[in-house]
Amino acid sequence: MKFNVDALIVAEESRGSALVNRLVQALGTSVPVTYVADPRNALRPLPVADPFDAGKRRIVVMKRRAPFLMACPAGSSKFACCGYLVLVLASNCPMDCSYCFLQEHVANNPSFQLYSNFTDCFAELEHLAASAPQRHFRIGTGELADSLAMDSITGISTDLIEFVRDREYLTLELKTKTDEIGNLLKTDPRGRVIVSWTLSPEAVWKSSEHRTASPSARIAAARAVLAAGYRIGFHFDPMIAYPQAEQDYLGLVDELLDAVPAERISFLSMGALRMTPTLRQAARRRFPNDRMLLGEEVLGADGRLRAFGALRIRLYRALQDRFERAGARVPAYLCMESSAVHERVFGAKPANPATVGERLAIG
Amino acid sequence: MTDVDNEIRSLAAAKRLPDSHLEKWLHLDQPGRVAVLEVARSLKLRTAQIVTALDLLDEISIREGQPVGTLLARPSIDRLTTGAGSAPARAHAFLEELRAMRFPRLRETIERLEAALAALRLPQGIKVVLPRELSSDELTIQLTVSNAEGLERFLNMLMEKRGELARILSMLGGGDEV
Repeated sequence: MKFNVDALIVAEESRGSALVNRLVQALGTSVPVTYVADPRNALRPLPVADPFDAGKRRIVVMKRRAPFLMACPAGSSKFACCGYLVLVLASNCPMDCSYCFLQEHVANNPSFQLYSNFTDCFAELEHLAASAPQRHFRIGTGELADSLAMDSITGISTDLIEFVRDREYLTLELKTKTDEIGNLLKTDPRGRVIVSWTLSPEAVWKSSEHRTASPSARIAAARAVLAAGYRIGFHFDPMIAYPQAEQDYLGLVDELLDAVPAERISFLSMGALRMTPTLRQAARRRFPNDRMLLGEEVLGADGRLRAFGALRIRLYRALQDRFERAGARVPAYLCMESSAVHERVFGAKPANPATVGERLAIG
Repeated sequence: MTDVDNEIRSLAAAKRLPDSHLEKWLHLDQPGRVAVLEVARSLKLRTAQIVTALDLLDEISIREGQPVGTLLARPSIDRLTTGAGSAPARAHAFLEELRAMRFPRLRETIERLEAALAALRLPQGIKVVLPRELSSDELTIQLTVSNAEGLERFLNMLMEKRGELARILSMLGGGDEV
């Protein structure tokens, strides 16, 4: 594990759980373990200069009372949508991207949460399948947390893979900005698991994606899991329209296609950097000198700041053209963009979310 | 504390400038602090205008890697701060110039689109409106008519201009001309 942990706080009701035993063993004696009757206080911001960053280093293990499975929070009737379903198995992330929406989303409870009853999600998945037989679902764990950042100490990916690999109706997506693939290489996914990476040019990585693996390391990790029987996908999201962006993103696509044949890529997604004014304020406060937070964003009808229309659509099209020229039609979608923008980029109206989700799941 | 800092504090107190922006102002290097003070005085900037100017200058400075003093010494700014005209008009133009520096591609694209719209030479009853700050890729076309003949004339005119309108829509959608 490459990330620092200051403290492990465990709810009494989670004491002795498999997850806690794994964490205690992996972290060793260097990280103090505290057992508490009520973990809610431990979730709150610490009285320090940067409570969000401090929260990233404080793991709180507790039972989750809310459902683990939910529709992707980015989905909306205003946008073309990919039909992604989210499993919430953790909250917060040890990495620290300047643009990350978690700075707003978990501002009031920034500790890194893990759930000792995470295997309860399997019953929810069975229930989902029973409610819609014959359907295929793409389920991911990378929305409120990175899917693999803590995997070397939690081992959760192995439990998930062992569950989904025998279930034809499920495709698991593990979304990450790390190269923490050790557990994946030890497990046979039987074609049911997509590992996806957010990819950004070197300039964005250096400026904004703190403690993440470099773009080249992510691409190398993708090659490795591909060889181990996983499907792979890439998220060009957020795309940041800085002055040299088009050239840099196309260079990144070239680097990717030099390493991975286009026809082996299960899908790619694109989405412009989008921030609510509150998020932008929080991000600017924490990263006042990050130029990537100071693009030519304007306020859209949904209350989010994005690069103005012509600029971001141009970037989407440039990337899409480059992939098309690579000779294989890689399934692609836009995140949090309207149907009209989708049509401009791909030349066709988007299918409904369930259909898109199913196509991406089946591959 | 320097004399300049005292003058800034005094102006800030008189204008009831928020503490956060006084801090931002005092955090600039000496030439930057002085330059903002000179602009604020010569253009008689109001409180909200000082706040906007400090925010824009902060962001432009980070984007371009240039200190605020250097930004304010640019000829396009200097012309406005020392030129002729009323203080309110120059203050307005000053903030517009800062916005153009902060959003250069947006400003350039808007200018290009407005030029293309002007070249259509549409009559007064037809108004083609660009999306606010180009936040979307949609054009709004408004017709003001009072009878069927007028409506038909405008619709025919729009049909005649559909090629140019399509080109403008393409520009809005990131076409090659942008």
